[in-house]
Amino acid sequence: MSLIKSKPLLFPIAAHAALALYVIVLVLPLLWLLATSFKPTPEIYSGHPTFLPKQFSLAHYAGVLQEENILRSMWNSLAVGLLSTVAVALIALPAAYALARFKSAANHLVLGWILTSQIFPAILIMIPLYVVLRSLKLTDSLAGLTLVYVVWALPFVLWMLHGYLKGIPVELEEAAMIDGATRSQTLYRVLLPLLMPAVGAAMLFAFISAWNEFFFALVLMKSPSAVTLQVELARFTGMEGQARTGPLAAASVIATIPSVILFGVIQKWFSSGLLAGAMKN
Amino acid sequence: MSVKTSLTLLVIAALALSTVVFLQKPAEEESSPQRLRFVSLAWQEQALATNKAIVAAWNAGHPEMPVEYVQGTWSSIHDYLITAFETGDVPDVFHYESSVIVDFAIRGYLADLASLISPEMKQDILATAWAAVTRINGEITGVPFLLESLVVLYNKDLFAQAQIEPPTMAQPWTWQELRQAALKLTKDNDDDGAIEQWGAAFGLRNSANMIMNLSIAFGGSFFKKAGPKYLVQVGAGEKELLNTLTDMLYYDHSAAPAGVGQSGASLIPGFFSGKYAMLVGIGAWARQQLVENAPAGFRWGVIPPLKAVTQNSGISAQTLSIPQKSKRQAEAMAFIEFMLSPTNMAKLAQSDWMIPARQSCLALPAFQNHDDGWDVVTASARFLSTGPWLGAPGYTEWKSRVANPILQELFANRLTVEEAARRIEIESNIVLSRYQRRDAPW
Amino acid sequence: MLVLLLSVVPLLRGIYLGFTDYRLGDAIQFNGLDNYAQMAGDIYFWQSFRTGFLFTIIVTAAQVALRLGLALLLNLKLRFTAIHGVLMLAPWAMPPIIRGIVWRQLYDPDAGALNAMLLDLGWISQPINWLASFQLAIPAVIVASVWGEIPKAAVFLLAGLKSIPADLYEAARLDGANARQAFRHVTLPMLKPVMAAIVSLTFMWNFNTFGLVWVLTQGGPGGLTRLPMLAAYEEAFRYGYVGYAAAIGNVMVVIIALVLLMYLRLQLRERVA
Repeated sequence: MSLIKSKPLLFPIAAHAALALYVIVLVLPLLWLLATSFKPTPEIYSGHPTFLPKQFSLAHYAGVLQEENILRSMWNSLAVGLLSTVAVALIALPAAYALARFKSAANHLVLGWILTSQIFPAILIMIPLYVVLRSLKLTDSLAGLTLVYVVWALPFVLWMLHGYLKGIPVELEEAAMIDGATRSQTLYRVLLPLLMPAVGAAMLFAFISAWNEFFFALVLMKSPSAVTLQVELARFTGMEGQARTGPLAAASVIATIPSVILFGVIQKWFSSGLLAGAMKN
Repeated sequence: MSVKTSLTLLVIAALALSTVVFLQKPAEEESSPQRLRFVSLAWQEQALATNKAIVAAWNAGHPEMPVEYVQGTWSSIHDYLITAFETGDVPDVFHYESSVIVDFAIRGYLADLASLISPEMKQDILATAWAAVTRINGEITGVPFLLESLVVLYNKDLFAQAQIEPPTMAQPWTWQELRQAALKLTKDNDDDGAIEQWGAAFGLRNSANMIMNLSIAFGGSFFKKAGPKYLVQVGAGEKELLNTLTDMLYYDHSAAPAGVGQSGASLIPGFFSGKYAMLVGIGAWARQQLVENAPAGFRWGVIPPLKAVTQNSGISAQTLSIPQKSKRQAEAMAFIEFMLSPTNMAKLAQSDWMIPARQSCLALPAFQNHDDGWDVVTASARFLSTGPWLGAPGYTEWKSRVANPILQELFANRLTVEEAARRIEIESNIVLSRYQRRDAPW
Repeated sequence: MLVLLLSVVPLLRGIYLGFTDYRLGDAIQFNGLDNYAQMAGDIYFWQSFRTGFLFTIIVTAAQVALRLGLALLLNLKLRFTAIHGVLMLAPWAMPPIIRGIVWRQLYDPDAGALNAMLLDLGWISQPINWLASFQLAIPAVIVASVWGEIPKAAVFLLAGLKSIPADLYEAARLDGANARQAFRHVTLPMLKPVMAAIVSLTFMWNFNTFGLVWVLTQGGPGGLTRLPMLAAYEEAFRYGYVGYAAAIGNVMVVIIALVLLMYLRLQLRERVA
């Protein structure tokens, strides 16, 4: 991009350094977790921790994978996560469009709902929510949990997408419609490519929210076979804040991987989306 | 891959996974319509294994009423139970702690076990243990099975080095003697002004529990019953322990300041590395961590309960309870009786490294052997007594609103003992009055 | 419609509870504004709100600034952007409980990596008790919070940056603008709606933050880090005063909504066409 050319040498180096610094700070705790997962237990409990393991051991991973429910809960989390992600994207896009383009009284209500649902303590609506779900026979079911997560992620995603949409000039759509396209065609052919990064971010958000969520899963999923990964992870902790640190570290590393993979996949969407030929005059 | 491809892949993956997973669920419902759900809080390796083995044994002998084992966690069990009670989807048996289930009972969540317990069990379990789970109106909130005891762990090699004789059950130490030993054991090995070896370390992060239980030995109980109401008074007995601790921290400099913000068990790494010669006021269950994680050749022992006026300390029991809303209370009780039979209770207590509540178990050789301090820990059972705060409405809030924060300030040396005492009394009354405003059974 | 059922109904009920004196295990009784009167005189409530605001403002400011920087850096087509992009997600990909546990271990006075590093560098001579220190606990919690939430919205900012049409930059360059001017006149205005949304949401989330702080300090030491959400949680789940907790929730909504409405009105009015 033309921005770089103004300061040929200094800028890229400074930028590289800054980026490297960011990444190091952000990644360090995860690296520490990774290192811990390879340390044998007595080393973890020694009073003088070092960063790299003195002895390399895969015992924790073996132990974790053998614990019955871990893999099961991973499948559960994965299913719930992916499904809610796709559902959120499908619902949010048209809804955000309507919100951004059509001015109606409902808009204010929706915004009010978005705000309130984000601020009001989630834990307090737990019980009424459970009662509602129970009357729908959706408690202790992954389908019910998925629905909850979809509804949960919607306000944020809606607001974000509608923000991006507002930032796209209306002329684009008008141009397309003059060319004979219907509204939905405009939405999917013209706007969607522009919004790919935003949609990608939204899907990432939906997935990670669902994947990382603990409290609702704890309360809604009662049978051991229906439990999600986060609840399962918590079982490595014990009294007084103690934890079986080694297995916990290994399990946490395993739990972190899917989100990272997803982003790797979605990454591409961020480099597309620039309006090369958007301004069709 | 292009955007379109990755998008399609994602959607397919989502649909495929969800079909597989969601379809599996209904099958489970059919297979066992009648079952007991048991939520356990065992988390240490050995305890987990024992719990699961007992459940498996029951299932083998009772195929018509199998037990579904659910592992809860100490940090999340409270929320899990509260929402379960409120919404009606309750487990049939759950494992928790005597001081907390009192609150549940007051709110009507628990079944009264008084009529369900067999006379044999009633007889065999220690009277003090029953006292910890019996309300003023006679209601029994849970069956106690693991008793908590706060002990002092010491490093045998460092003691030998300093030529200190550890106390025995016949000749226990007083707090004064502990103080002296701690002084002797505090060393600045390389003369750089920084202490490398601390005589003692106390885990004072959320110290209300420890302080209250240990103050009983000084004759201090903080809570006093005045007619129907509870008052909090901090008198001489209550202040003694506080004074001793603050002196050791900031006057003797024999207690490690690092302990002020940590829980007892997180001091264990420092114990292993020789940084702390003694860990005071730590739960007996922590011995399992020592056995599992200690470096090779590390020698440690348990010191008998310290003597002040008496050697008494407050009791805290882990319990098994049945929610009121459970539809299978009788069967649940049958399972509890099975799980807490003398043989099984002994196994549970051993694998969790705590004191069994049954007298018949206490006499077993496993609890009398000298290795790993079992004999000392078991003997300390006779010094357990109930504190008057059990059953006081508002105790939970008092602990986290008043006691813990003020104690934290005290041990951080921001308050004197006198100031802390005054503040505790004033703020206690504010908090407790909230519970006395209504004349409900609270 | 499902949305209505699953989100609105529980919300409404929660709000309603704020006007009752509901205690767990008891019957629900409407008690009008009693809860709010009680709140006005409750020192613990004011303390947690004050802490909440302080915490939220600092953390939000830090996060937004850092996120913007990160997004901008990632937007430049430098080498290794792809890898950087994936790696920077690390905090977000880690489950919140794990984040809490990891940071707690890092801050551990005896076995923690932070103290070990500082001791080795010679910057301190005795281990510091980060989470229990009355001076350092709040900054320590702030650092952990800021760290944890940077990637989440940085991704959205990046998406926002990417959706600015390239032609605008071309036009600006043709007009003779340099990098800084292009930033001020093209990037910032185009980002305004996205920024406004992110700042407000960040503000709300930070005010509501619960999990991480609970794991790190449980509101200690001495109640210093008892944020409003923690207070509401304790009220409802530990002491059983659900009605009062819901009232706290209502007050939170009203106050935050007011703050945000003011902010948004300011932001969006200035938008240059």
